[in-house]
Amino acid sequence: MAAIRGVELSKSYHHYQVLNSVSFEIGEGACYALFGANGAGKTTLLRILATLIRPSSGRFEMMGHDGVREKEKVRECFFLISHGSHLYDDLTVMENIQFAVGLRGLSPAEREIKAALDRVGIGAFFRLKSRFLSAGMKKRLSIAKAILIRPKALLLDEAYASLDEKGVGMMNDLIREFNKGGSAVLITSHDRAKTAEVAHRAGVLRRGALREMAVKDLLAADALF
Amino acid sequence: MRFFKVIRWIAWKDLLSEIRNRENISSMFFFALIVILIFSFSFSTDPEVIKEVMPGIIWVAFGFTGVIGLGKSFLAEVQNDCLEYFQMAPIPKGAIYLGKFAGNVLFMLAAEMILFPLFILFFNLNVLDKLPQILLILVAATVGLSALGTLFSALTVQIRAREVMFPILLLPLAAPVFIGAVESTRGVFNGDPFTFYSDWIQLLIVYDIIFMVVSFWVFEFILDY
Amino acid sequence: MLSQRIIGKLRRYEGWFAAASAVCIATGLYMGLVTSPPDYYQGEVVRIMYVHVPFAQGAMFAYTLLFAGSLWYLWKREPLVDNMCHAAAGVGVFFTTVALVTGSIWAKPTWNTWWTWDPRLVSFAVLLVVLIGYLMLRTFLDDREKEATYAAVLAIVGFVDLPIIHYSVEWWRTLHQPLSISMRGVSIAPGMLVPLTFMSIGLTLLLTYMIMVRTQMIYLQRLLEAKQGRLLSQVQL
Repeated sequence: MAAIRGVELSKSYHHYQVLNSVSFEIGEGACYALFGANGAGKTTLLRILATLIRPSSGRFEMMGHDGVREKEKVRECFFLISHGSHLYDDLTVMENIQFAVGLRGLSPAEREIKAALDRVGIGAFFRLKSRFLSAGMKKRLSIAKAILIRPKALLLDEAYASLDEKGVGMMNDLIREFNKGGSAVLITSHDRAKTAEVAHRAGVLRRGALREMAVKDLLAADALF
Repeated sequence: MRFFKVIRWIAWKDLLSEIRNRENISSMFFFALIVILIFSFSFSTDPEVIKEVMPGIIWVAFGFTGVIGLGKSFLAEVQNDCLEYFQMAPIPKGAIYLGKFAGNVLFMLAAEMILFPLFILFFNLNVLDKLPQILLILVAATVGLSALGTLFSALTVQIRAREVMFPILLLPLAAPVFIGAVESTRGVFNGDPFTFYSDWIQLLIVYDIIFMVVSFWVFEFILDY
Repeated sequence: MLSQRIIGKLRRYEGWFAAASAVCIATGLYMGLVTSPPDYYQGEVVRIMYVHVPFAQGAMFAYTLLFAGSLWYLWKREPLVDNMCHAAAGVGVFFTTVALVTGSIWAKPTWNTWWTWDPRLVSFAVLLVVLIGYLMLRTFLDDREKEATYAAVLAIVGFVDLPIIHYSVEWWRTLHQPLSISMRGVSIAPGMLVPLTFMSIGLTLLLTYMIMVRTQMIYLQRLLEAKQGRLLSQVQL
């Protein structure tokens, strides 16, 4: 069964067409890489899948649940890491994570949370108020949340943004681990080389239309768009 | 079950933040204090005059306190895109309303618990034997202000003119709260028997129930598409 | 598209509403100001009722439309309904303001005061503030889809609250001042009922006409914004 399936998704603001009949399928345990120019609609597509925006037409399914009519069930399935850090400045790293996963009904022990933080490299900062974190550290915090939540679908908008070299490597390790565990991963990125290491399939979003390409062609092409 | 856990988490997070930065409660407190001082200059010290205008002054002061405190309900969420996280979380949005509402009621009551004794002190009121009734009025009116205040805070938090729009929207619609609170407070100060002013308290309670229910129901649309 | 067909229908029929409204208002005004009898107690001043009462009715009708439209929008998300709500609010402000001003003009010679804490006047004043707040909220929100939803929420909450406010103020006034002063104090003689009815119908038609025109204006405005956005989207970064 496809973990994430989009069927002719379109999004337009009045008459301004951002996405035009986008269809795709991502199987369980697969990683799909989405490319496109700035402003092409990658974030919009991810936000539709994350049930943040309503599609103008078309539908999508996540783990078999309809994306618009069964929003609550879909929200149990995925986790989105994107531009906003979703952090509270006055709370410590540990408290922020406890709150974020607590809202999803999980109460992991402090030990587990610390282990996840160690895994992403910020274990030493668990008592630091999040206002003092750098952008890269905030990104790692979001990744730690994903590790604790273990979603069936992981959506990564600009997967490698703010991460240093080691961070990028850690991100790819994590994507592979998620895939092995049966979770589907959808990432957008501008780094073809790094993405090619983990992606099983790829697509390019241009003028609202999605064009699939083989991963090996990804590396070979001069310019994607 | 998760419904109540979410309410607890949100109230916990708000309380923790407030204890750490004390921003809301100190601005609420000092603003009300200034209002008291200015009013004490504006009216003569004739005890008859004071008795007449006192209920109005008290509720003007508490009203401004509410506007300042309630207006900031969702401020922390706007930074770092936390509202987005609420939308994506698999939780009923009404629970978020109730969590915020609970926190707001607690903060306002805390400020009123400090301010009301100051009123008694500055204006020589002898109402110490009627504390249970006063408490009842304080709670009923605070719940009323917080019911719509929490909702309108969510409505206005994302707009630029938030500090202007919030009182413009809230105060006219909170008129019944002010009328009920002032009249019942006046009844207490005049030494009237409870049955004389219990109708006004009933008005407050009816208002509370209606707008808690309406806001709870409508919150789904504010935080979700 | 459905919305385009409805806009087309609006354009075709608006003229009829305007004409019918003009006829009714002209008749009503002539009868009310010239041929109808003056009131036994209030004299010629009562003639302002022919303007004040229909405008007040119109304001309430406009808000009812706004309320119903807001519920409909939250249920079906039809953008044209949202445009209608926006239009109804704007026209409602006009009608409420005229009602308040004419009410005030009526009060001065009758009770020697420009303003009285009559529950109806207070409710109308609150209605005006709520409508203005509604329009301000819509102006300040940038996101168009959120704007429609939030505005609908505000309209619904306001509609539920207005009767409560009216009731509270009435209660409060009976406590502090006997309710001898009331706008309801006019007994309607048959000679007055006919022009009043003409004015009511005429102004309801006027309200409908104004909302029809304004809805089209707002719809076209949004269309223009969207086309401008589309032009921008042709630019490939």
